[in-house]
Amino acid sequence: MIEVDRLEKYFGKRREIRAVEGATFRAENGKITGLLGPNGAGKTTLLRTLATLIAPDAGSASIDGLDVVRDRYAVRRRIGVLSDARGLYARLTARENVRYYGRLHGLGGAALDARVDTLLTQFGLAALADRRAHGFSQGERMKVAIARALVHDPATILLDEPTNGLDIMSIRSLRELLRGLRQAGKCILFSTHVMQEVAALCDTVVILGHGRVIASGSGAELMSRTGHASLEDAFVSLLGSGEGLAA
Amino acid sequence: MSSAARILTVAGKEIVDTLRDRRTILVTLLTAIAAGPVFLVLIFNMTANQADKARELKLPVVGTENAPALIAFLEREQVVIQSAPADYEAKIRAGDLDVALWIDPAFEADVAAGKAGTVRLVYDRSRDRARAAINSAESLLFAYSRLWGAQRLVLRGIAIEVARPLKIEDVDLATPQQSGSLILFLVAFYGLFASMMGGMAPALDATAGERERGSLEPLLATPLEPLQLALGKWIAIGAFDAAVVVLTLIGFYLTLNFAPLPAIGVPFLFGAAELARFLWILAPLIALLSSLLLYVGMRGRSLKEAQANVGVLLFLFTMLPFVQLMAQKREPPWLLWAPISAQYTLLSRALRGDAIPAMDWLQSALAPALLTVLALVAVARLLSRETILGARS
Repeated sequence: MIEVDRLEKYFGKRREIRAVEGATFRAENGKITGLLGPNGAGKTTLLRTLATLIAPDAGSASIDGLDVVRDRYAVRRRIGVLSDARGLYARLTARENVRYYGRLHGLGGAALDARVDTLLTQFGLAALADRRAHGFSQGERMKVAIARALVHDPATILLDEPTNGLDIMSIRSLRELLRGLRQAGKCILFSTHVMQEVAALCDTVVILGHGRVIASGSGAELMSRTGHASLEDAFVSLLGSGEGLAA
Repeated sequence: MSSAARILTVAGKEIVDTLRDRRTILVTLLTAIAAGPVFLVLIFNMTANQADKARELKLPVVGTENAPALIAFLEREQVVIQSAPADYEAKIRAGDLDVALWIDPAFEADVAAGKAGTVRLVYDRSRDRARAAINSAESLLFAYSRLWGAQRLVLRGIAIEVARPLKIEDVDLATPQQSGSLILFLVAFYGLFASMMGGMAPALDATAGERERGSLEPLLATPLEPLQLALGKWIAIGAFDAAVVVLTLIGFYLTLNFAPLPAIGVPFLFGAAELARFLWILAPLIALLSSLLLYVGMRGRSLKEAQANVGVLLFLFTMLPFVQLMAQKREPPWLLWAPISAQYTLLSRALRGDAIPAMDWLQSALAPALLTVLALVAVARLLSRETILGARS
């Protein structure tokens, strides 16, 4: 479970860039939580904080009760992260890229080999497994990056815009995969600015604007609260009022 | 999972990654391993040519008929007398001729009148290539002058010592190995150079390359600690650098011992023992340079930026031995504390066949060891800074 409590994060020499300003929300186990917001709303900053890559300036965040600053390494062992930057090693094969992360997570031997095989097959990468990542398409690279993030079977999964650059077939298979992970009781948090993703997949939506949580709840709740019939209209009207609040 | 296992995992991945970069490997192998011996062969041939030139001096002469006795003397000394072209001065200036001899038309008349005969040796001393010919022509003329003077004294019944009270004996203390000083510099410098260049490509790829291709951020979200990451990369860079140094030195060893080099009278000392000593001397430097490359590379946001910074670093380092060579003074005792200069000094000593006391080696290794630790800690700190992720929020 992910708990974010009044989290603040500023950038710049005089902390003039307010990336996250007091965000509070939670993401439950066995649920898919979508972090929805326009560009620059603070999605990547939030996910980086949860991934222990940056420390909050105020407030706190924890994963399964472990603080992302104090218990950084314990948190890292239980999260799988598809970060904003998701480069592969072009001269390593798909299998080697995934194996490397498995070894860094302390896996090895036959267990790791079996795990990597399972993941690559699951992602439809079996035919590419022993080819170097150099010539991979964007979708293939994304799949390897996600397989790499899941190699140690993490309880919490953080995905920053996972559908970026994927074709519709890949998106569908990614959705299948995420539903499977939900079934297995994982806590999944992913960020997106694509409305269809949220509608198709999320149990809970957290709408982020200007570094604040403007609203959260299930898609149906958000629509009924705003009186709109579509999630998109609900989103726009929520953001509009959010901007009104910020002004 | 133990810390050591993680460090070795990183090191292993970096080594595999580097070895698969065929173009970089090829370029590194060519510059470090082939260029050294090729250079060496060129220098040897140049030196040998110079020695040949000194041995068989061809001397263009203006006015051969003016001093037949001098010409006969020169011919007895194996000099090939040629008639000088009319524009010999221009040719010397242009470097087409090394040296020419002009004999005064009034030579015989002056000598008959009891005056000194005049000959003029024309040359351009700024030309290194001509130096051997100039020197040997000069010394032959002096020899003739002395011989002639001695003969006159003997005719008058005066001992030669009366006119030449000082007897000069040359005692050259250079051992045979020492005389090839240019080659000595070259081999020592190239050993240093290999240790500087060898680690560059893998270091850049493992640092700025990792940042540029966006593979650093996910790596930092694993349980890998910054210091473990730094150490793993450092081991990989150091190992690669050491391999390049070993191959370079093997190239020298093979060239110097087995290549059909012209004999230049320098029984050069670079056997298996020197090779091992070179490695031993360079080891602290390999450790230091790998860590410095790691630090400078990691500061670069892109490969281009890092390349520029690493270029500056390596330029400064490669200049040090030249400064030392130019200084020509006896090395001050503190020099052994200074990285690079210390290694260069010890390498030169090893080549000259001097002993290297363990204390001297320790002295030369201390500063690099401390700086290596500092650099690695600095890399780890850099890796735990949020700015390493880039400016995106």
